[in-house]
Amino acid sequence: MTINKSHAIASWLALSMFLAACAAPTAAPQEPKGSTALNGSGATFPQPLYEDWAFAYSQLDPSVLINYAGGGSGQGKTDITKGTVDYAGSDAALSDAEAATKPLVQLPSVAGAVVAIFNIPDVTTTVVLDGQVLGDIYSGKIEKWNDAAIVKLNPKLTFPDLPINVVHRADGSGTSSIFTTYLCAANANWKAAVNPCKGTTVDWPVDKLKRGQGGRGNQGVAAAVQKTSGAIGYVELAYAKNNGIDYAQMINSANKQVDATVASTTAATVGAAFSDRNSADIVNVASADAWPISGFTYLIVAKDFTDCKKAGKLLQFFNWVLTDSAAISRAGKLLYSPLGDDAKAKSLAALKTVTCNGQPVLK
Amino acid sequence: MVTQAVRTTSQERVKLKSTSAQGRRAAINSITLGLTWIATFAAIIPLVWVIGDVISRGLPYMSAEFFTSTFKPLTLGGGGVLHAIVGSAELVGIASLISIPIAILAAIYVSEHRNTTFGLVIRFSTDVMSGLPSIVVGLFVYTFLVSGQGYSAFAGSVALAIMMIPIVLRTTEEMLMLVPRALREGSLGLGATEWKTMILIVLPAAVSGIITGILLAIARVSGEAAPLLLTAQGSNVLSTSLSQPIAALPLTMYKYAIDPSPIRNGQAWAIALVIVVFVLILNLSARALTRNRVKGL
Amino acid sequence: MTSIPASVVRSPSARLGRALAHGDVPYRLITVAASIVLILLVVSFGLMLWITSAPTRTQFGLQSLISSDWNPSGEIFGSLPFVVGTLLTSLVGLAIALPFSLSIAIFLVELCPPRLRGPVGTMVELLAAIPSVVYGLWGLFAFIPAVVKPLGDFLLKLLGTPTNFIYLPFLSGPFFGTSIFASGVILAIMVVPSITAITRDVLLAVPAAQREASFALGATHSETISKVILPYGMSGILGAIILGLGRALGETMAVTMTVGNVSELPTSLLNPGYTMSSVIANEWGEARSLLHSSALLEIGLMLFATSLLLNVLARLLVWSVSRKNPDQRG
Repeated sequence: MTINKSHAIASWLALSMFLAACAAPTAAPQEPKGSTALNGSGATFPQPLYEDWAFAYSQLDPSVLINYAGGGSGQGKTDITKGTVDYAGSDAALSDAEAATKPLVQLPSVAGAVVAIFNIPDVTTTVVLDGQVLGDIYSGKIEKWNDAAIVKLNPKLTFPDLPINVVHRADGSGTSSIFTTYLCAANANWKAAVNPCKGTTVDWPVDKLKRGQGGRGNQGVAAAVQKTSGAIGYVELAYAKNNGIDYAQMINSANKQVDATVASTTAATVGAAFSDRNSADIVNVASADAWPISGFTYLIVAKDFTDCKKAGKLLQFFNWVLTDSAAISRAGKLLYSPLGDDAKAKSLAALKTVTCNGQPVLK
Repeated sequence: MVTQAVRTTSQERVKLKSTSAQGRRAAINSITLGLTWIATFAAIIPLVWVIGDVISRGLPYMSAEFFTSTFKPLTLGGGGVLHAIVGSAELVGIASLISIPIAILAAIYVSEHRNTTFGLVIRFSTDVMSGLPSIVVGLFVYTFLVSGQGYSAFAGSVALAIMMIPIVLRTTEEMLMLVPRALREGSLGLGATEWKTMILIVLPAAVSGIITGILLAIARVSGEAAPLLLTAQGSNVLSTSLSQPIAALPLTMYKYAIDPSPIRNGQAWAIALVIVVFVLILNLSARALTRNRVKGL
Repeated sequence: MTSIPASVVRSPSARLGRALAHGDVPYRLITVAASIVLILLVVSFGLMLWITSAPTRTQFGLQSLISSDWNPSGEIFGSLPFVVGTLLTSLVGLAIALPFSLSIAIFLVELCPPRLRGPVGTMVELLAAIPSVVYGLWGLFAFIPAVVKPLGDFLLKLLGTPTNFIYLPFLSGPFFGTSIFASGVILAIMVVPSITAITRDVLLAVPAAQREASFALGATHSETISKVILPYGMSGILGAIILGLGRALGETMAVTMTVGNVSELPTSLLNPGYTMSSVIANEWGEARSLLHSSALLEIGLMLFATSLLLNVLARLLVWSVSRKNPDQRG
């Protein structure tokens, strides 16, 4: 057993070179690199839009790097409360308890439609559902696709004798909150069977029947429905439309069959009654043109910043999002409903209340 | 050598069969051994299948843009994963810088004090660390480095470093034990100090083994997503800052895998291809290095 | 090879003098410091998890381990569904992996033509090199639709239907693909290499004399394997299985992507479920209330404690075999 000295030296050199390579700076960026990083997390409901906005805005102002990590409304609220992000998205408004933990400012950014997506073999034409049937599916009362209640709403379709796999969110979700708020309002059985009957996390009755499945984010729910024969799920309209997933039309509270569109979502936002914290529930509204499972999604920031440069850049971005015509048309293109004048005025007023070290950030 | 002896014996046995009971035993023997062959090759199917799928589904999405562009929204075609490549390189690089010195120094200590109580405690701690579920490492680092300060590339690197330490430590220790004692004693006898003996004689003699350990450790953490989920968080932007959230290939892959968009799914397969090729190259070079080393002895 | 510290060749006083003069003291201090960092890390893992999970312990006590009601919005945290889900997925994985791992180890040690030994061994080890998240992706898009779903449907029809002659409730439906069973099958692929590697080492440690004695008595090769070699290495193989269990218990990404994420007690292997590591991965980010995060940390503590215990047990078992035979091969 002898040691080849030159071999040993070569290996030793290789080790040092390897270590040096690790220490060397990483590849130079190819695209505009910003000096101000704006980190956000939260709702996946508006994520396609927020990612689109962030990318477009960073082209206009290359000095910012805007990141939106998603993770669900629950994560967004937690992160902004703990101060681990600069801004959060949530489609479930802050509760009194949440608002009390830390001074936060909440403002609506857009409204969107939650749709029931499905994957039924051999059924591709439009399926119609109402609050009663949807609630009964989610509470487990309706077990199979060929249930009389479903057939009654869709007399022309033939449904298979297939158990329904009910997909819901595995993470705390504002989309769940909008969806269950609707079920609470439109289905008395649901309201009686599930306690609390609405919220970001729900004790899903179908789980006890072993017909549930949890997906992470709107993306996860949509993907689970795509992959599971006999599945139903609920996601924001953009996820269904952009990925070609079938979704059901709804019979709204005016007893009219409606399709989920920007127009029907906008109809639901008309006359919304905003709370002190700029939030409003717009599910199951009375209007005959309104999509029944609609909701606003909110941006949440700390009321007072310590980094004024960051605060300025962030609020400029929010201001662009709310007022710039390019930003608004991007929202419409992705099937989100831009704010009406009333809601926009509320949001802009809320932005003005954000301060940095006590001084207003926007003049 | 022994196995060879065994095989001849076995064949002779089988030839000797004459009575029916012996025939039955011979039949059972062939069937059992045949099943062993089949089971072995059946177990290799998943490897071939995974690699085949990763190549056939990932390759079509590997354009130039995939490597040179950062995240773009789907409305603009989806972009590439440069941000995640840079992020992974930074995370693994810093994790190596943190873990390798600690692991090698501790391995030196253990190799010299193998049977002392303290040495045993360290070896036990190494075993515990190597068995830690990766998500628990994430929880631990979150509590110390993320809570109150925010997700960061640094926290992610520390999490990966904790997972690398036991791998590097163990291989280094084994390699140091293989270095002939005569070499060490010769150096000390010629008047070299202990640390000079270690750095100039013992470590160089073990270096290919140590590199093997480092390569295996890097391969292991390059594909880790769970601890990064709680520490580096992932990001859509190209960032190299240690104090900001950072993208990583496994995180981006996870995100794209559970996305309904076929483009994102395809990108997830392409990322899987990048990771698998990288990890397999590291593993195979690690094996090649050790093989030469063993031959050299 | 046992090691005697290199310094015993010199007298203590000479050693000290030399050490001080030539930098050996800083050298030793640095190596000791690195070792202490390591021990501190492990100790602080345990301490941190113990301290931060205290709120759940004081609030629910043992109830949090035996209750199956997990409802974050109602601040109720019973982690039994996750414990059961983790155990079931891991046991399914082990049950499937074990025959394959044993076969491969036997094949490599006893049967493999020398030319194939390298490639087959390498391929099995490469199975372990593929990251969890890649297995998750592959499981989700390729393996579950092609193998697990048809296999599960078949089992359900054959054994899981109450009207059948043979009815096994733990294979009853409904079955939609993502399930305890699906995660178990993927875990099986992931733990095969770790069980195989250790079993192979254990089999290599069986003395040649044992084997040759068995052949000399007229045993066939398969009899020698099943009656002499496997029993001799039994405790070591048990150790390998336990290490495989440890790996399966902590696996996160592949399981999260395939288990279904439903926090109810499963009654059938074809049911969706949840595991300890996947509930941490899914809920940690949003856990805001002290109780919710400490409940997740308690689950983390259980994972930590279990992996520690399994590790100790496995090492002892493997060690007991290699100790039996001082002149082991390999």
